[in-house]
Amino acid sequence: METIHLKKHIEPDLTFTQWFKNVYGAVKTTAIGMGITFKYVWGRDVVTIEYPEVREELPSNSRSRLFNDAENCISCLQCAVACPVDCIYIAAVKRATDAPKIKTKDGTPIRLDLKQYTIDTALCCYCGLCTTVCPTECLTHTTDYEFASYTLAAMKYDYLAPEIRAWRTRIVKA
Amino acid sequence: MSSHTNTNENKIILGDQEVLKSDLLTLNMGPQHPATHGVLRVEIKTDSEIVVDAIPHLGYLHRCFEKHAENVDYRGVIPFVDRMDYLAAMSMEWGYALAVEKMLGTEVPKRAEYIRILVAELQRIASHLVFFGTYGIDLGAFTVFLYCFEDREEILRLFEELSGARMLYNYIWIGGVWNDITDDQLARVAKFVDRFEGELHKYNNLVGENKIFIGRTANVGIITREQALDYGATGPVLRGSGVKNDLRKDRTYGMYDKFEFDIPVGSGEKGTTGDCWDRYNVRIREMFESVKIIRQVLAGIEEGPVMGKVPKIIKVPAGEIYMRTECPRGELGYHLISDGGKTPYRLKVKSSCFTHVSLLPAIAPGQMVADLVASIGSIDIVLGEVDR
Repeated sequence: METIHLKKHIEPDLTFTQWFKNVYGAVKTTAIGMGITFKYVWGRDVVTIEYPEVREELPSNSRSRLFNDAENCISCLQCAVACPVDCIYIAAVKRATDAPKIKTKDGTPIRLDLKQYTIDTALCCYCGLCTTVCPTECLTHTTDYEFASYTLAAMKYDYLAPEIRAWRTRIVKA
Repeated sequence: MSSHTNTNENKIILGDQEVLKSDLLTLNMGPQHPATHGVLRVEIKTDSEIVVDAIPHLGYLHRCFEKHAENVDYRGVIPFVDRMDYLAAMSMEWGYALAVEKMLGTEVPKRAEYIRILVAELQRIASHLVFFGTYGIDLGAFTVFLYCFEDREEILRLFEELSGARMLYNYIWIGGVWNDITDDQLARVAKFVDRFEGELHKYNNLVGENKIFIGRTANVGIITREQALDYGATGPVLRGSGVKNDLRKDRTYGMYDKFEFDIPVGSGEKGTTGDCWDRYNVRIREMFESVKIIRQVLAGIEEGPVMGKVPKIIKVPAGEIYMRTECPRGELGYHLISDGGKTPYRLKVKSSCFTHVSLLPAIAPGQMVADLVASIGSIDIVLGEVDR
């Protein structure tokens, strides 16, 4: 047999006036609260938006879906190194010496041929570290936020695939 | 008390009255219980409505943060740091950045210091608003939740414009902050702060002064001064128990020594010192103090760069440091050990929520189950920080 002692806060017995004061306090404070709430019934703008019909425009530096403009990529691997979850997979080979010389938009010569540029968006933590180290600013976060998919495989974006490169006209701002 | 084999033979004395002999019922509160604010499982032994014992079970949100941190470079740790206390990610980042900066000896530009204090105090308001709103829900008042989230939205919108994300910012970097704040945004903060102060008075009248709310929280979940100190409680929980302790004043960091603000302390205004109402009230008053600090930031902010000189590949000299900062939920400590490499050798985090969870078995016995919900809500834990 074991005895368990529990603490209990003992309220003192109320006097007659204290009881009425309590009732008065309860009615008064509830009335104040109701007054505040009733002000919200009329004369308030609606703050919620009806999502599928009304779509919110995110701020311009919002970190949403990643996009790599493969034509401006110099395969420097800096994004893959900076990534804390290692979700960027890059493969590149040395460009043949007799191949025509190409440059990125900002004039950096491209010395490597990009063979694979894949980001596993399902692993991505959207921290933005990869975009800040990109020297040619080809890897950017866009404000596109509707990209749920049914399979995990569909979350792997191969930025050399034509259908994903076609996003460029849709989600990348000038 | 937790090792009873035959519960039938216990004699339970509540206060000075003996309770009718009955079986103890073991209940699992959580892990998917809305009142536990995340995935906390509290195993409670009850005698009808009275809680005899409460044992918190942790680990549902454990993500091996400390081991992860040993394998990513110093900049890459910051996104993981965000995910500890996801309601106050700015404060989490700041503590880590300070620890690394101290070891590197980096000078942080004045403007960056101001922006850091600004975002940290806005974050404190946003975090306390979540506490305020969800605490209302815990006690059956839904209205204030919507009001609080409307105001919090404005803060999150500003953070989204600054950093690009709404909750996991990765904004405070080693050596400064990521993006500069524009004058337009500062004007918006000033406008928000002016409006918010009035709104907060209104919300407090709606909830904090309400007789029913006081009835539910006063004299409930009392953490005495001695208990709070014994268990190592920090932040609003410690201050609610009447101990004047704030790292922003006591062991000042950043530029907090140049700012004037008070430290609100619980005094048992509606009941006993250290009850749920005191902890609630301390947080409300802290929001007013944060407003004060933000006003001083807006008056004193200087022009200049926002990023100090940091090497491209951060290699922290060998050594160790323990950096403590005052987060919305209490003291956050980073014990960073470096062996001179590119990654931390060890990063131990002292989280306030973990110590606060350990207070539960001490305050739960003798309470009603509904009061236990009020107690868990009032210590305001975030399970991401408890488990890390």
